[in-house]
Amino acid sequence: MSGIIEVENLSFGYMRQGLILKELSFEVMPGTFLAIAGPNGAGKTTLLNLLCGLLSPNAGFIKIDSANIHSYSVKELAQKVAVVRQEFVPVFDFTVTEMVSMARTPYLGIFGFESISDREIVNEAMEATDTAQFATRTLGSLSGGERQRVFIARALAQNTTILLLDEPTSFLDFKHQVGIYDLLKTAQLEKGKTVVAVTHDINLAAQYADVALLLGGDCSYHIGKAEDIFSLEQIERVFGVKTFAGKVGEGKFFLPLGKLAKDSSIITANINKDEKE
Amino acid sequence: MNKRWLLLVILCLAGAGFVIFGVQHGQNREAVPLPAKPSRIVSLAPNLTEILFALGLDEKIAAVSNDSDYPPEANKKKKVGTFWQPNIEAVIAAKPDLVITLWFEQQKAVAETLNRLGYRVLTLKTEKIEELRTAIKKIGAATGRKQQANELVKNIENQFSNLQSKFSSTNKVKVLWVVGVENLSVAGRNTFINELIEMVGGENAIGPTVSQYPQIGAEELITCGAEIIIQSAMGTSNIREQQRAAEAFWSKWANLPAVKNNRIYVVDSDLVLRLGPRLPQGAEMIARCLHSEIYTQE
Amino acid sequence: MAEILTSKNLVIKVSIGLAVLAVIMCLCALIGTQKISLEKALAGPGDKPGENIDYEIFVGVRLPRVILAALVGAALACSGVVLQAILRNPLADPYILGISSGAGLGVIIAVLSGVSFSFWGGSPIAAFAFTGAIITVWLVWFIGHFTGKSQVTSLLLAGVVINAFFSAVIMFLISIAKSQELRSTVLWLMGNITEKDFSELRVSAVCILGGIIGLFTISQKLNVLTFGEEEAKALGVDTGQSKVVAFGFAAFITAVAVGLSGLIGFVGLIIPHGVRLVFGPDHRQLLPLSAIIGSIFLIIADTIARVIVAPAQLPVGVITAIAGGPFFLILLARYSRKVSWLK
Repeated sequence: MSGIIEVENLSFGYMRQGLILKELSFEVMPGTFLAIAGPNGAGKTTLLNLLCGLLSPNAGFIKIDSANIHSYSVKELAQKVAVVRQEFVPVFDFTVTEMVSMARTPYLGIFGFESISDREIVNEAMEATDTAQFATRTLGSLSGGERQRVFIARALAQNTTILLLDEPTSFLDFKHQVGIYDLLKTAQLEKGKTVVAVTHDINLAAQYADVALLLGGDCSYHIGKAEDIFSLEQIERVFGVKTFAGKVGEGKFFLPLGKLAKDSSIITANINKDEKE
Repeated sequence: MNKRWLLLVILCLAGAGFVIFGVQHGQNREAVPLPAKPSRIVSLAPNLTEILFALGLDEKIAAVSNDSDYPPEANKKKKVGTFWQPNIEAVIAAKPDLVITLWFEQQKAVAETLNRLGYRVLTLKTEKIEELRTAIKKIGAATGRKQQANELVKNIENQFSNLQSKFSSTNKVKVLWVVGVENLSVAGRNTFINELIEMVGGENAIGPTVSQYPQIGAEELITCGAEIIIQSAMGTSNIREQQRAAEAFWSKWANLPAVKNNRIYVVDSDLVLRLGPRLPQGAEMIARCLHSEIYTQE
Repeated sequence: MAEILTSKNLVIKVSIGLAVLAVIMCLCALIGTQKISLEKALAGPGDKPGENIDYEIFVGVRLPRVILAALVGAALACSGVVLQAILRNPLADPYILGISSGAGLGVIIAVLSGVSFSFWGGSPIAAFAFTGAIITVWLVWFIGHFTGKSQVTSLLLAGVVINAFFSAVIMFLISIAKSQELRSTVLWLMGNITEKDFSELRVSAVCILGGIIGLFTISQKLNVLTFGEEEAKALGVDTGQSKVVAFGFAAFITAVAVGLSGLIGFVGLIIPHGVRLVFGPDHRQLLPLSAIIGSIFLIIADTIARVIVAPAQLPVGVITAIAGGPFFLILLARYSRKVSWLK
């Protein structure tokens, strides 16, 4: 069975700068949760933009559902791939319902009116994300976490097989971050969606992702099972910071410790201890 | 990409259609037959009104523009809006069989609309003295007063030639005719005011300019050597104050002969700026300013 | 707005709007400096002009004006809606992308080249204003595209630059102009509703209504476009094509409106906001309702302009500014509390 996303020998660099991604190759199987992590400037968002067709590779190709990504029209691609970027407040105050309904754009007829089934899909998506309670409220009146859920509702209503997310929890608080990840995981497990999330948060990625792609920032990359990729050695090397790793159940968590951090002296001791285990 | 070009082409064609059809109006109108002697005439400008009265058409005038104030009988006529903005509804309500208008944009637009609605309209250009003669003759022809028109024109011509001969032998006097004080603008050589000035032995202090009523700067002013400065008054109510204000204003340019000799005049502009039958009187008024010595001797 | 808009809902609203518009058109055609009665007017023209004044005034003077005001009001309001959407800027108005100075330059060139004195039977000023506007818009689009891939900011900047440059050229031409006629055509530019020929009105109606319908077909996409280029693409909107369609049609109907009546301000800026406040930002209803309310607004403004200082007339732009100015201030106060772009 071939992957739903196939990347082969992908190279890309912006016009005046050098290559950011060099001969990147990997495959994402349908129904998996892929986390893309790496330091700033490693090309995570760039890769995401390539995966949703916004950018064109300098070399190599990307295939979505076995067809080259650029062979799809904008409309066709939108029926396969949904993108969630960071939440924002739009210029005009649409209601939550109107906003989520925009997900049906790639399926609408000439005058752009939603059919009954479109409306049902929208309702379902709003129920699933617990945003139905905000149906008539404007986006500006919601909190950041609530808004992000609305954006995810929109992505779900788009009824695609692939969900791409760019740092979906960046500005969210402690509680809402996991709320979002739970939502995404549910979408993956219950609806069989393929979720690709670019994230800064290694720990949450480690808890939720099946597969991880670690971009090194020097055009290097590692891809594999999440537990293999998220190892202390990889993290320290890629991010270049002394890190404390601890176990929680079956997973690990990572805590970067700076020189002046309170517990910075513990690192050496515990790391040695971990390695022995 | 193809779709967009197609769209653009369609738009351009539509635009061309708009341009072609939009502009074609007015070409297929039948000329309404002119009644031999119109009995309900509407005049949209004060000078046209004066001409009508001068041709003895008092009873045939149905309505005039608001600012038609001469002769005094004109004040009793129905009003149809200002010189700048004739009220087309009022014109129609006066049930005219002949409407006489001037040539500039606002009046032309009204004339066109009336024409389209089937009214007989006579549009006249009165920018030069020659055009005044033509206008009088045309009005005479349209109202069945050819003879009176010819007499009026001759009358005006005579007065002009009298003035001209009177001052043909005198030295040319340099005149500066000020139209606006705020941004100092004057009547240039390409205006009928200039024609009047030259008719009575004057010469424009400003050389030839591109614009008819140019703004002139301080440099020009200082070197123009004007011997007479004439300013058209704004309204006739307070000419004395305007005279005083003018003298105060011009005292800055003490090197000008006009200022030195206190030859600054603020005049009632209706006589001069209205190209109508009273123009010779206006010319005479200018002559009085230029040649005050001659007139006091008389 | 609890529910999403349905097509049935929209048809009802538009029908009611059109009915109100028709009533207002009739009422305002009966208002003017001369008193006329509807029955007399409907009695017919009579044998010769001057026979039935009521008819002459109603059909020859008032009706064309009311129809023109309706068309221009609709065109400007729709254009405002569309430009505010694609530029994602609530302060955009139909003239922002160079149309005003382009039309002005066209008019000046028309007068200078002496064409207005050849007896075409009509004033070619309209044609020149229209052509000037279209050429300028194309120029702005081209510059915007050339410098920044027609992204919103580069379009706006190109528009500002062109407006400034052309305005300077206009001022230069006016100051060296030989005759005074140029000054009276500057007055024309200030915006006036005048009595037009019915055939000209017919062609204009086709152009403007066609343009509005064209814009309506992309109104759902406009909703999406207000979220930005990337978001729109992610939702399957071909942003390049949509922007060309939106921009092209909006510029076209604005150019037609300017050719008909000069530059009437505030309609394109205020009406979209007003309608949005009441009905929400969904462009599928914002567009047609703005057209209708734009028509009504301009008809009423023109009626006031016609009678308030009778027998003189105010330029209709004065009334729209007087109504629009304070409204705009209120709008600004409301928006600055709500919208993020002002923070």
